[in-house]
Amino acid sequence: MNRLPIDPALAWESLPALLDGLKVTMIITAIPLVLGLALAFPICFARMSERRLPALLAEIFVVFFRGAPLLILLYLVYYGLGQIAALREGPFWILFGSPFGCAIVALALNHAAYMTEVLRGSLMAVPGGIVEASEALGISRRNIFIWVRMPLAIRYGLKAYQNEVISFIKGTAIVSVVTITDLTAVANTIFEQTYDPFTPILCAAAFYWAFVNLIRVGFTLWGRWLNRHNAEIVEVTVAAPVRGTALRRLAGLVKVTP
Amino acid sequence: MTNLSPADLAGYLRQLGEGALITLELFLASFAFAFVFGVLIGVVTLSRNRLVQAAWRVYASIFMGVPTLLVIFLVFYGGSAMLMTVLGELGSEIDISPFGAGVTALAVVYAAYIAELVRGAIENLPKGQFEGARALAIPPIIMWGKVILPQVMRLALPGLVNVWSFMLKETPLVSLAGLQDLVAASKIAAGATKEPFIFFIATALVFIAFSAATLKLATILEIRLDRGLRREPNARTARADA
Repeated sequence: MNRLPIDPALAWESLPALLDGLKVTMIITAIPLVLGLALAFPICFARMSERRLPALLAEIFVVFFRGAPLLILLYLVYYGLGQIAALREGPFWILFGSPFGCAIVALALNHAAYMTEVLRGSLMAVPGGIVEASEALGISRRNIFIWVRMPLAIRYGLKAYQNEVISFIKGTAIVSVVTITDLTAVANTIFEQTYDPFTPILCAAAFYWAFVNLIRVGFTLWGRWLNRHNAEIVEVTVAAPVRGTALRRLAGLVKVTP
Repeated sequence: MTNLSPADLAGYLRQLGEGALITLELFLASFAFAFVFGVLIGVVTLSRNRLVQAAWRVYASIFMGVPTLLVIFLVFYGGSAMLMTVLGELGSEIDISPFGAGVTALAVVYAAYIAELVRGAIENLPKGQFEGARALAIPPIIMWGKVILPQVMRLALPGLVNVWSFMLKETPLVSLAGLQDLVAASKIAAGATKEPFIFFIATALVFIAFSAATLKLATILEIRLDRGLRREPNARTARADA
């Protein structure tokens, strides 16, 4: 064994395969993120509903799909759903018949459960007075939700959303167990071909790291864009002690022209 | 619907029970190591030394930005080669078991998260706690053990509970390195009996039940850690009443 754990020649050689794997990882991240978020809204409304039954059903959904490990969910969808004959003959078999479809379903359900809680927490963080004031102004409930509660909830929940998205990306590494050739699977294949334990895995890790940090930077920029109005508020209340370091940093970054 | 005989079911249940025990051992061992190393790293990296800070940044960034599964694979496949470089010829004698690889990987990854929590908690502690301990000439070891860390644990507990339940959900990953844990046992049972639904849902429920049970424990722990805080307002109101 040479001293250097990474073999540059092998790394260069396996770069195209790893990039293909990264592409698969990105797709298998993006689709469930969108589906899960779309699913999280109705579930969150049911969870916050005053009626008992929808609230209970939504809570059971959240407890099950958040509490069960992702690997079990994946096995359950991949091996378990094929057992149901009605599903096997139904039109959805195109989706559940392929490993890709199964992985997307399992990941989306898991993400939806987490996002329900994130969404609920963010919506509950919106001060009640603002909602009451909007109601007093005669704004319809739908408009209050779209223009008052959601914009604030996004700002309150952005950090939690970022954490969930990042841990979700890292969670997608397990889809290789249902024969999807994502980044982890590619690294594993190269390991099995060359018996070099370091180069493929460290290269794949570098790609994951770059992907995760790209998303992190994206969220930071998004958060800064969302809070761009706050710089003026800081200017006005400059005498009052600034509470968060985030605000202070923002005040330094964004120059407010009078 | 099911074509399982009671005898078969009992056999599979025993296997699942053995698997669950291994999962539990793996989880508790990893969490214990992660906790000890996390607290140590959290305290050590408070030093203003640039080198220490840089090392901490690199360590945290790597292990928070890389899937745990890859770390497990890296330790499992590359562990003996790593040991060989560190220990020389002695290292080549040691075989890396899936269990050992799992504990190492999970401990290394989650120590970073716990260290981050502990650092945040220490920074949120009023400076007067340190100054007071120093003014009373309390030696550093007693200061950390009896003054600072108990308060840090109180501040860090919600985060620790999070790490606890998140880590529990990542322990099944070690089965992909060949550990015969609960998930591996249920996969075998599901494949042999052609009843994947029952076994996987039962396994999921075991995980959910365990985390629900430990959440209760966390509440008890919280009450105990908060006892210093709770007495004060009570005493005050009692005095006001009197």
